[in-house]
Amino acid sequence: MRLELKKVVKQFGGLTAVNGVSFTIEGSQLVGLIGPNGAGKSTLTNLISGILKPTSGEIWFNGERIDGKPPYVIAARGIGRTFQVTRAFRRMTVLENLLTPGLAKFGNRKSRAQLEEEAMEILRFLTMDHLRWEYASNLSGGQQKLLELGRLLMMDPDLIILDEPFAGVHPKLQRTIYDYIKRVKARGKAIILISHDMESIFTLSERLLVLNFGTLIADGPPEEVKENPEVIEAYLGKDEEEDQFLPTAA
Amino acid sequence: MNTMRAYYDRYLPWALGIAFLFGLLVFPFYQRESPYWVYVGANALFYAILASSWALLAGYNGQFSFAHMAFMGLATYASGIVGREAGIWALNWSPALSIPFGVLVAGVVGLLIGYLCLRLRSTYLALFTIAFAEILRLVFKAEVDLTGGPNGLYLKTFNLPFLEGLTRYASTYAPMYYTMLAVFLFSLVVMYALVNSRYGIFFRAVREDEEAAAALGVHVVRVRILAFVVSSMIAGLAGAVFHHSPGIGIVVPDEMQIGRMSLVIAMAVIGGSNNLMAAAIGALFLHFALEWLQEIPMPDALMSWLQAHQATLEAWGFGLGEAGLKTNAWRMVAFGILLMVTLRFWRNGLVSPILERIMQARAKEEVARGRAAKAGKDLADVDKLVVDESPNEGGQ
Amino acid sequence: MVATLLHFVPAQMWLITPEFILRLLAEGLLIGLIYSLMALGLTLIFSVLGIVSFSHGEFYMIGGYVVYLFLQKFQNSLPRALTGIGALLAAMLVTFAIGVVFERLFLQPMARGEVDRPNEYAILTTFGLAFFLQYLMLGLMGPFPKKARRFFDLPVFDAGLIQATKASLKIGNITLGAGRLIAGLIALLALLAMLYFMFKTWTGRALQATSQDRQAAAVVGINPMNMNTLAFGLGAMLAGLAGAVLVSVYSWVPWVGVIASSKSFVIIVLGGMGSIPGSLLGGLIIGVVESLGTGLFPDPVRAQAYRDVFGLVIFALVLLVKPTGLFGRKL
Repeated sequence: MRLELKKVVKQFGGLTAVNGVSFTIEGSQLVGLIGPNGAGKSTLTNLISGILKPTSGEIWFNGERIDGKPPYVIAARGIGRTFQVTRAFRRMTVLENLLTPGLAKFGNRKSRAQLEEEAMEILRFLTMDHLRWEYASNLSGGQQKLLELGRLLMMDPDLIILDEPFAGVHPKLQRTIYDYIKRVKARGKAIILISHDMESIFTLSERLLVLNFGTLIADGPPEEVKENPEVIEAYLGKDEEEDQFLPTAA
Repeated sequence: MNTMRAYYDRYLPWALGIAFLFGLLVFPFYQRESPYWVYVGANALFYAILASSWALLAGYNGQFSFAHMAFMGLATYASGIVGREAGIWALNWSPALSIPFGVLVAGVVGLLIGYLCLRLRSTYLALFTIAFAEILRLVFKAEVDLTGGPNGLYLKTFNLPFLEGLTRYASTYAPMYYTMLAVFLFSLVVMYALVNSRYGIFFRAVREDEEAAAALGVHVVRVRILAFVVSSMIAGLAGAVFHHSPGIGIVVPDEMQIGRMSLVIAMAVIGGSNNLMAAAIGALFLHFALEWLQEIPMPDALMSWLQAHQATLEAWGFGLGEAGLKTNAWRMVAFGILLMVTLRFWRNGLVSPILERIMQARAKEEVARGRAAKAGKDLADVDKLVVDESPNEGGQ
Repeated sequence: MVATLLHFVPAQMWLITPEFILRLLAEGLLIGLIYSLMALGLTLIFSVLGIVSFSHGEFYMIGGYVVYLFLQKFQNSLPRALTGIGALLAAMLVTFAIGVVFERLFLQPMARGEVDRPNEYAILTTFGLAFFLQYLMLGLMGPFPKKARRFFDLPVFDAGLIQATKASLKIGNITLGAGRLIAGLIALLALLAMLYFMFKTWTGRALQATSQDRQAAAVVGINPMNMNTLAFGLGAMLAGLAGAVLVSVYSWVPWVGVIASSKSFVIIVLGGMGSIPGSLLGGLIIGVVESLGTGLFPDPVRAQAYRDVFGLVIFALVLLVKPTGLFGRKL
């Protein structure tokens, strides 16, 4: 697995949301991506997953240039993501939600029964197997978040981008998500974790990327980044923004 | 769960399905004294095909197209034109050749329109398809040399000898009826095969959230275009066969107007557009209901009141004297009210919830068992905190 | 095709004079004003409620029928100008009332978030209303075309270059029918009044505030729900007024609204959804394009048949090429 961004720029009209970001992720790393509100984290995620096209710059994945490719192609190449606001398929059952990426990936190469078996295994891991026939719209917010993570397991990508997996989730449910992240890592996948929850991001990630005003201001191990004066200023330098450690309202 | 109940749940859908099919098969024999009702039955099947194929596009894939009738008309006109003996583009093809050609034309144009519509969402798609449908209708109306203009295009009807024999035992309209029934069953089989394949799940995933589906690797472009092409071709097939059948033999551009389209949409929505069969049953039922309502005279009390006040009403300029008293507009008014009330209070339609109840006995049982399991101690931990969460969460 | 085209061009050439084009332009602008009025109603609804009303044409149709009925009843008992004004007011009142009732019954639940899949619901429920109103009027009025008499006259004068009789106005060599002229003038007045209302009065500003930011509007004491109702009622009323002024120009059947509403769709998409200047300019553009397109189309038989196609083709192209329209900001 190798993801490389080369001087990626994204402008919306006159606003530059991402300004010349370059970094490389190799192997099964767990990379935290942090930054104050409006720093460009979500834009960056959308650029990597193909929902947005960069204004300039290049994105390479496993030796292939992927910027400008449609999202379903990028997904097929092995990049999976969740969304900040959960986006379960509400009028489909939990099982059908999980089958969607499986069928998209394997087509007719795996039988429906085989895929259902895999899906059930994932649901058992997420402690949701009793809900398999339930419509996703009947699930609670936290369960929908788990369902979204379950879909990613089913899709089995090489790189997973988790956009605020802890936001709006009951603290106790975070344990399941922790387990999830560890399990994914154990499979040798790379993870980009975006979160406002500093505690979990500092404990989980091996490497931290810090964005501020669309620019990458720090890149390194968490302990090092914590000491970086630019990062401290970005987070603490301004007086008024008390709420920056809280989850963003979408 | 006792065994009787389990057998009941398991075989009820089959029993009902077979009874329904049997009913459709023997209908012309049952109604052999009144060919009119067999003719109505053929019409009802025509609408049932249109409603269920629209449900495939709108209900399953979430593409609210208003051009469905336009595709029906397009295929009919295309096959009618190549089937003509003289005139522009006349090839004198027999219906056996011209009908598949018409369906193909609908498919190709459906591909094109589906591709053009890729960027358009809900309201914009509805607006674009209305524009397309109206342009097509107005062009067909204007190009008199090609299409016969507002007076319509005469079509070569097909004769099926093995069905003609039936007219002696059943009704005169039996050949038309059975042809439509065959098309109806064929298109249901095709659509159900599609819906039960992986594309069925992709259709719905794209309907629910196109971006999320794409992020999971679903080829959204292919899925949306496939839905458009298949439903257009089925609409085209229904139209071409229906209009070429003995007993019709003509097509007029006004059959493609938005009013007809709204009838199909209303039928599908009242039946339930999230279920192909529900939409089809809704259309069958409503078409018969509308015809039946036409036969019911106005209540005497109302009639005499209207007659007594006719002069006053006409002095006001109401049109009751001309056609108002006998007009069949009132049944459509009732239909319109039914549509709006259904939309407001039964979002999934009237037939669809019943069908789902019958079909999903197993699923319901699972859900019930799952809910019971919530009380179990293994899951108690997770589920309690699930209950704790604020209800607003996860909504938009 | 080419042969047919060539066949018709020379026969028509003598008609295409500057006067002819000017007349087409003037007629196009007059009709365009009415289109603008209707489109303004649709824009108002879209910008406040966020939906496109597929029943807009039916309010237009109702407006026309109300005028017709009013004239039938009162044209002999009231002075002419008074009947006209009364008829217009009645049309506005009735369409406003229907709009308000419908909004309260069917669209409020959506605005309160009680309805699943609101986009779909909005399309279907307004479509359902259109269906209902069309057949209701078919039941009440019958299928035969009605035509109201002209209810305002032009003042008769002769000022050399400009001459007016009761039924027509002559400027130089160009003659305009009084029906269209008066319809256009009333539409212009209504447009100005509406713009004054939207930009100068408190309620109008409250409507605009709601359209820009519902939460912020609610914080400063505007009830967004009432604004929804008001916007839908006003939108319906503008469509009703457009129908009311045109009922003496065109003959009226229960499905006149279909074409009228498709024209307003064309205009709001061309002008950019939710843009007031867009709908004003879009209306004029469509009026002129239609008028010129019909007048200059080489084959006069087909020209009339293709009259409504020109706008629709523009519409389809705008949707495909630039769905934000002329003035729209964002999808």
